[in-house]
Amino acid sequence: MFKSSLGLNFLLAVILIAIATQLFPHLTEKPGITPPVTVASQLETNGTEKPCLNEHPEWRKAQVIDGVEIAESLACDPDNPFDIAAAVKGINNVSMSTIMQSDLAQDAVIIGEDLDKDGDPDVIRIKLEVMELNGASPDGEFLVNTYDIAPSIQPGLWVYTPKMRGMGLKHFNSFVAHPMLRAPSPVIRVEQGDKVYITLENTHYLPHTIHLHGVDHAFLNSKGEDNDGMEEHPVFPGKTHTYEIQPRHAGTMLYHCHVQTAQHFMMGLNGMFVVEENRPNNWVQTLNMGAGQVRHSSVAVKQDYNQEYDLFYQSLDKKLSKIIQDTSDPRLVAHRMSREYNMSESFENYFMLNGRSFPYTLRESIVAVADNDNVKLRVANVQRSQIALHIHGHKATVTAMDGVDLSSAQQITRDVFDISTAQRMDISLKAINNGVNSYGPGLWMFHDHVPTGTTTDGMEPGGNMAIVGYKTMLDEQGMPKMHDELLGQVFNSNYYSKKQAVWGEGDYGKLLGEVGLIAPNLFKIIAFGLFAGGGVGLLAYTAFIYLRRKINEN
Amino acid sequence: MKIKILMVFTLLILLRLQSTWAIGMSDMMKDMSHMSMDENGMIMNANHDKLPADCKQVSEDVNVTIRAGHKHALKFPGKMFAFDRQQIDVKPCARLNITFINDDQTRHQLMIHGLPGYIYPQGMFHLELNGEGQLQASLIVPGNKKTYLMHCEIAQHMEKGMKAQIKVGGGDVDLPSIPGISEPVRADLYPVAFNKGTWLILAFCSVVGCLLPYFIRKFYRRVD
Repeated sequence: MFKSSLGLNFLLAVILIAIATQLFPHLTEKPGITPPVTVASQLETNGTEKPCLNEHPEWRKAQVIDGVEIAESLACDPDNPFDIAAAVKGINNVSMSTIMQSDLAQDAVIIGEDLDKDGDPDVIRIKLEVMELNGASPDGEFLVNTYDIAPSIQPGLWVYTPKMRGMGLKHFNSFVAHPMLRAPSPVIRVEQGDKVYITLENTHYLPHTIHLHGVDHAFLNSKGEDNDGMEEHPVFPGKTHTYEIQPRHAGTMLYHCHVQTAQHFMMGLNGMFVVEENRPNNWVQTLNMGAGQVRHSSVAVKQDYNQEYDLFYQSLDKKLSKIIQDTSDPRLVAHRMSREYNMSESFENYFMLNGRSFPYTLRESIVAVADNDNVKLRVANVQRSQIALHIHGHKATVTAMDGVDLSSAQQITRDVFDISTAQRMDISLKAINNGVNSYGPGLWMFHDHVPTGTTTDGMEPGGNMAIVGYKTMLDEQGMPKMHDELLGQVFNSNYYSKKQAVWGEGDYGKLLGEVGLIAPNLFKIIAFGLFAGGGVGLLAYTAFIYLRRKINEN
Repeated sequence: MKIKILMVFTLLILLRLQSTWAIGMSDMMKDMSHMSMDENGMIMNANHDKLPADCKQVSEDVNVTIRAGHKHALKFPGKMFAFDRQQIDVKPCARLNITFINDDQTRHQLMIHGLPGYIYPQGMFHLELNGEGQLQASLIVPGNKKTYLMHCEIAQHMEKGMKAQIKVGGGDVDLPSIPGISEPVRADLYPVAFNKGTWLILAFCSVVGCLLPYFIRKFYRRVD
């Protein structure tokens, strides 16, 4: 009797489990006749922000500071004109008022004598520091010296910054980085033949160097020390080193760190280095903070062009950038970055033009043109991948590559420019409405046409998307007119954190918006629980009884 | 080239009249009457004689020398920059006469926060050295028991060890992540040195643990 009841128990358990398998509740199910209705996205409040914060409207106008002519900038977020004046004349030659309204250290840019007696200074001393953005803090689960490349997107970054004074924060009670602490590293501009002393003051916690890529420099400096920024001559934390150059050749070049080069380069330690042609009375803008519009161009550039823009294309790998956000210990950063992280198995996730991704590119990097303008674009690519720069509505002409002027026969006019890693290209963009140079006034996008280039961690539109905006189509804050709907959508952290449907608003919102969920079938869930639980329980109980009987028999 | 500038009140008034004034400057620069600057560095909000409201007189003069640099971090694993001391104890209403020495070639700061704003604008006292060198300045602390943060505000310098505390009258708390004194709020994880021996001990103890109920049962049966 005992034996048969055990067999029955077992049979019953198997039947219960078999029924349960038919009731298994799935995470996704077929909806029957009508799929779930469109619902509102589950958005974080306070996700939206004003497209233009308009913090310094007074910085936009053309102005003269300490005798330095500063061109108008239509940008929503223009460069501080006092920084520009200090960069042109040197901190040692500007007024106290200018010094106070710039946060450059008193020895950041020292401009000295006129060696060739042609009316401009030829001895330039520049000091750069190394700063970390969006880094970790042992004091809590937050990042410090925060720098948003796009709404609420804060990848860890390293940058060279001009030597500054005071706090590295925007306000003393916030974690937001001071505006001078930003990507990309500043564009350095000197004149051909200048004696330039670039001092790296390593304020960072890992060793770095400055390698002057493409810039005419001797292998050793006047002290017989490293002048090439080589890996085996790192400048350690708290130490300084001066690189000396007197470039004979003018053109658009680079500078970058050459310690653990692959990783430090991808972390942001690179910048544009421009050598301007030697001309009389040629005061150049030694530093262009965050690249972008050059508001005090050199004599040679002004002769041929109405405007000049430095365009710096940069990409980040989020896995690499995260290393400095996961630990505060410099030894662990070094270990994870140099030995655990494997760049040959990595991806690029963030694509930036002048340190920002779309839509923030609209605040700083709109190329604002008037009809018939001839605009000089100096483009540098420091991404890991090649870029295919496409300017909508225009065919522009390449005039120089890697700092070497092209002959007129070599100057190709085209609408996609392929630029390799570390390559530079000087481009002449003519706003002449003739069907070739320009198709007429507009808000023409320009971007890397490699599909990843216009994404931010996979979200489109993002990346290095920016606009060539004809001035008649820009508002008084330098933002594109007639695009309120798009701007409202993308100046929103929900969009880039992927919480918002791409077409969730407007007439088609119901047709293309967020898909709702199927209501859980409670009857099925309860029945599954009872059958599956009952089956397993009965099986265990039967096994227990069987074993006990076996033991008793023995 | 050596320009020693002492900001005076008249210049402040003059600048305030300019429309561009106070725009584009970090908050702490706004009141320049408390600031002196030269190529060596700058001093902000030094105070040799203004008494905080709760002090009748200066209780004691404390002369301290505080050095900064990477070499002071050698005794703190996992740090890169540090001050040579992590805590300063003073009586309420004490006057600290600080000599700040930078042993590194790069910039360092000594910043004290949370002071009364009516004497120290933004509640802070700030010394900054552009490179190797030294500065001297004084401040008078208030009369209540409180712990004040002293740090370097350059990006990642506090996080990498340049954090200390000034305890007035014994202080009220220990601030977190002060090298050698207090634990961090967000500690890093470090690997534990497991080796063959530790694994063997673990395996042996697990086997013993499994057999234990059997032996205990046997023991009680024998007692019965």
